[in-house]
Amino acid sequence: MKKSLKSILALTLALVMLVSLVACSSGSSSTPAPANDGSTDTDTPGGGSSSSGPIHVSMYYADNPTLPWKDDWLAAQKTAEICGLELEVEAIPSADLSTKVSLALNTQENCPDVILYQTTTGENASLALNGAVVPISDYSDWTPNFNAYVEKFGMQDEIDALRLSDGKLYYMPALTDTPFFDGGLIMREDYLKEKGFDDPKTFDDLYEILKAYKEDYPDSYPLTHLVSLYVTDRMTMPSWGVSFGKSSAGGTFVLSYDYDKGEYFTGAISDQARDYLQYMRKLADEGLMDPDLGTNDNIDGDVWSNKMATGYSMATYAYYDQIGGVEAASDIDGFKLQMYPSLEGPAGAHHQPKSRTGAGIMFPTATSKRDDFEQIVRAIDQMFYSEECAKIWCLGVEGETYTMDGDKVVYTDEIANSAEGIYKYMQVKYGCGADPVQQVWILDQELTKYDENYAEINAKVAAMGNVIQPVPPAPLFDDYTSEDANNLKTPLSTKVWIWINSFIYSGVVGGDDSNGVGARDPYNDDDWNAFVEDMQNLGIEEFCQMYNDNLPK
Amino acid sequence: MAKKAALTAEEKAARKRSAKNHLRRYWVLYAMMVLPVIYYIVFKYLPMFGSVLAFRRYRPGMGPFGTEWTLRYWKQFLKDPAFWSALRNTLITSISNLVINFPIPIIFAILLNEVRAKHFKKVVQTISYMPRFISTVVVVTILNELLNPTSGMINQLIVALGGESIYFMNMSAWFRPIYILSETWQFTGWTAIIYLAAITSISPDLFEAAEMDGASRLQQIWYVTIPSILPTVMVMLIMNVGHLLSLGFEKILLMYTPSNSGVSEIIDTLVYRTGLAQQNYSYATAIGLFSGLIGLILVSTSNAVSKKLTGESIY
Amino acid sequence: MKKRYLTAENIIFDMIVYIVMIFVLVVCLVPFLYMITVSFSGSKAIINNEVFLWPKDFTFESYKTIFNYPNFFQAYGNTFIYAFGGTAIALVMTSLFAYPLSKPFLWGNKFFTKMVVLTMFFSGGLIPTYLVYTSLGIVGTRAAMLMPFSISSFNLIILINFFKGLPVEIEEAALIDGLGYFGILRRIVLPLSTAGIATIGLYYAVFFWNDWFNALIYLKGSQYPVMLFLRNIVNGTMAIADGVGASEKSSMAISLKASVIITSTVPIITLYPFLQKFFVKGLTIGGVKG
Repeated sequence: MKKSLKSILALTLALVMLVSLVACSSGSSSTPAPANDGSTDTDTPGGGSSSSGPIHVSMYYADNPTLPWKDDWLAAQKTAEICGLELEVEAIPSADLSTKVSLALNTQENCPDVILYQTTTGENASLALNGAVVPISDYSDWTPNFNAYVEKFGMQDEIDALRLSDGKLYYMPALTDTPFFDGGLIMREDYLKEKGFDDPKTFDDLYEILKAYKEDYPDSYPLTHLVSLYVTDRMTMPSWGVSFGKSSAGGTFVLSYDYDKGEYFTGAISDQARDYLQYMRKLADEGLMDPDLGTNDNIDGDVWSNKMATGYSMATYAYYDQIGGVEAASDIDGFKLQMYPSLEGPAGAHHQPKSRTGAGIMFPTATSKRDDFEQIVRAIDQMFYSEECAKIWCLGVEGETYTMDGDKVVYTDEIANSAEGIYKYMQVKYGCGADPVQQVWILDQELTKYDENYAEINAKVAAMGNVIQPVPPAPLFDDYTSEDANNLKTPLSTKVWIWINSFIYSGVVGGDDSNGVGARDPYNDDDWNAFVEDMQNLGIEEFCQMYNDNLPK
Repeated sequence: MAKKAALTAEEKAARKRSAKNHLRRYWVLYAMMVLPVIYYIVFKYLPMFGSVLAFRRYRPGMGPFGTEWTLRYWKQFLKDPAFWSALRNTLITSISNLVINFPIPIIFAILLNEVRAKHFKKVVQTISYMPRFISTVVVVTILNELLNPTSGMINQLIVALGGESIYFMNMSAWFRPIYILSETWQFTGWTAIIYLAAITSISPDLFEAAEMDGASRLQQIWYVTIPSILPTVMVMLIMNVGHLLSLGFEKILLMYTPSNSGVSEIIDTLVYRTGLAQQNYSYATAIGLFSGLIGLILVSTSNAVSKKLTGESIY
Repeated sequence: MKKRYLTAENIIFDMIVYIVMIFVLVVCLVPFLYMITVSFSGSKAIINNEVFLWPKDFTFESYKTIFNYPNFFQAYGNTFIYAFGGTAIALVMTSLFAYPLSKPFLWGNKFFTKMVVLTMFFSGGLIPTYLVYTSLGIVGTRAAMLMPFSISSFNLIILINFFKGLPVEIEEAALIDGLGYFGILRRIVLPLSTAGIATIGLYYAVFFWNDWFNALIYLKGSQYPVMLFLRNIVNGTMAIADGVGASEKSSMAISLKASVIITSTVPIITLYPFLQKFFVKGLTIGGVKG
């Protein structure tokens, strides 16, 4: 018995030793925090601010398989060289970037110096407010190039809208002078010409076209979706003055924004929403809209382009870039796709709301502990926002990727004649125009990468006025309200999707009682009232109130 | 049986010996455990202190153990309708999965063992385990291809036979059957390895004796194979029961569509959506702790029951 | 013998067995064949639904694209390091723990077993785990992949049970011959347990081969395994709710996905036939033992 006690004692002793060992090593590893990124060779002794050698900066990049980071990207190399930076880029798969960023910011351990492609919505907001992110607005003297573009584009209001409840800005967003119309209704132009249809202007026009196609090809589903109802919903709903469901603007799922009153309202249960659902129901019931939604999140572009290429569908909501691929894959004679400006609905012709600011650059607090923090901020500001570098991120290097003919940009033959188009080719080969890194978007410059057709459509949309509304302001929640709002949001978001799907498709696919909703029809008053009641029971009004109470003044 | 007796005899002898003798005799065995025990403490138990988050308020960036004590998250999830429906969905899906996919690998292993042609047996075994190597992402991609209402093989077959296309992935009624069958496909061959290993260690004498007694092959299976692998079966069963609350999370997340969310929202996806997507760590930890507790209760109950009924247990 | 075997019942039974086995073969093989076919087919043929189990417009294009990806081969090499190194460490650690725990007469046996079982149901959250690993100084090094997963409680229990099933007589004889417990483990128990070791070894190898999440969290870009590469290709274009359309604009060709799937799964699949030999060995030893 005594001996067994001894053995237990020995074991606990070993345990204690171990724990203290762990504690020790944690203590020792946290002291030299600034040099944490293992850049011992580049650390200039004594924090030499004379910046003789290049500054070593580690960086997260949102890696997308269609646009993988390459260290030898012309744009990256050139701009880094200009700014005296030595980049160490960690390409994080974009699907997992938020997990990785969350860990880095939460722990401030193994943190990169710079994180690209971030905003301060969601968790980042509370991380920022709790001191995990450098409030870049406190250092605005160090970001002259960024400030200059904000002023040039007249975007002070937009920037102010990004400030958190403490009035500070925590990242430098990407800046756009004019939002593009880069996606929308895409249809078979050859079919419209053949049948003598004019370009559609309203959703009734669209209905007639789809109907004609269905009569010609009874086995077809004229309108198909790129990803579930995502893109279709997002690009059409604003013409009814609402946005709800999974791709609702602002990610509220059930709320919409009233631009006149400047507040949120319970969009999902509004009459406009019912009207929209009735229109969609009609399309679905008459076989004009594809009932195949695929799975939720995965974009199976192949299935989608298959449907378009084979004539199974003739209309879709998607992006201009994608037209070329579908056209190349089709065997149909004269097959031609065209993108059309937004159609007019009850609330006018609107595209999905777009912000003039985009995801941008963030500095973790750990970076501010580095001696050369000021140099880093200045260099990063220069690398992404100086006129010289911003131009490189868009057009590349004069003499290498393009030459100037008067004020006209002329790309090299290799680029201009590439099969995938100038834009895509330059992205992949040179890193020019890669979303996570280009921070300044000037429409005229961008249009040099596309054909004239695209410029024409954009001009048409611009002439229509107010097609692209700004993104509604995000509420400034404190921690507790944010949790409460999220707890209301989870059941609401799940349930509203079930209802939307049932309202639109239950006539075709049939009802499904196992999800607690069953077959419902937006034309039927009882069904609609049941939906409204369900949403109210789940607290949609309370949820809306929370949003309006916390809107920035 | 003889083995068992020998063990208990040794056990009794060991108990009789004095503590000094025990240590002198077995210190090597204790020494062996040092490294693994350290491993468990460092890599499994130290992080577990993080579970206090279930009772503490977590603020991002303000330390891993939260900032103040609170029961807010327990109250929150216990009255959250989303949690209770997720719990129900989890139990229904995983019990049906257990009922179907627990016996299938056993039956498969037994049947495979009955294949007399050695090469054929080897080929089947090699090929049947292959699906296990396909990642979940790919499995779901394949499912989508096969079940696609327009171009999918299965629906083309249904249409050819005069039926109408079924929107498999969009109907909640199909969610569970598809999930369970895909699990069967993915794991049968793989799980069967365990049972095969158990079957191969059965002494051939037993089969020979049974055959001498005139037992048919079915009878041999019934009276020799099954009783011999029963310990393995019970251990696997206990572990499976303990994991009733954890389903193939990644697959379900990928199969989740708006229209089937009524049945496809399970505890793990809920934890994922509140914890990771909405960054409410405390809430997610509370749910995680709760399902861990249920798992523990399930496993100790089934362990005790099994001990009583069959004498087999995992601890 | 033969005569007794050829009863009607046994013949029907045999037929059923073979039918089931052939069905299993077909069901398991077809998706793989399909993937291989797709990976060698032209994209136009795939989009137009013309590809089934034989490649159309045969091409190596998608493989070329994959091989030209930055870091593909580096990721591949990393995966081999984790799969071999991780499995080796794991087998040593698991055996070291399983053997003592298979001796019910050891004091603390119950306690340690419970300690193991408990970890199957509770785990620390992501952030505490990350902090522990950070304080050990292994984050960002390959050790972060090799060390923390060296015992899986599930595999440990399998091995304990396997060891428990071994005949005690041989061990007792060895003890009398003066062999210590360590010698017994190395010279007698482990050689007798090839089937068990091979089984859990394969489990470990597959775990290390397929893991991407831990690699993502604890490793640096240059240390990423090929599965993370696969995930990025197959799953990188996910729609982000409320997101910008950037990811919606681009999707990967299915042939490209298929070729990554094939290149990243073939090595681990080919591992099995080699291990199967050990299974057979385990079988014959079982015979000798009997």
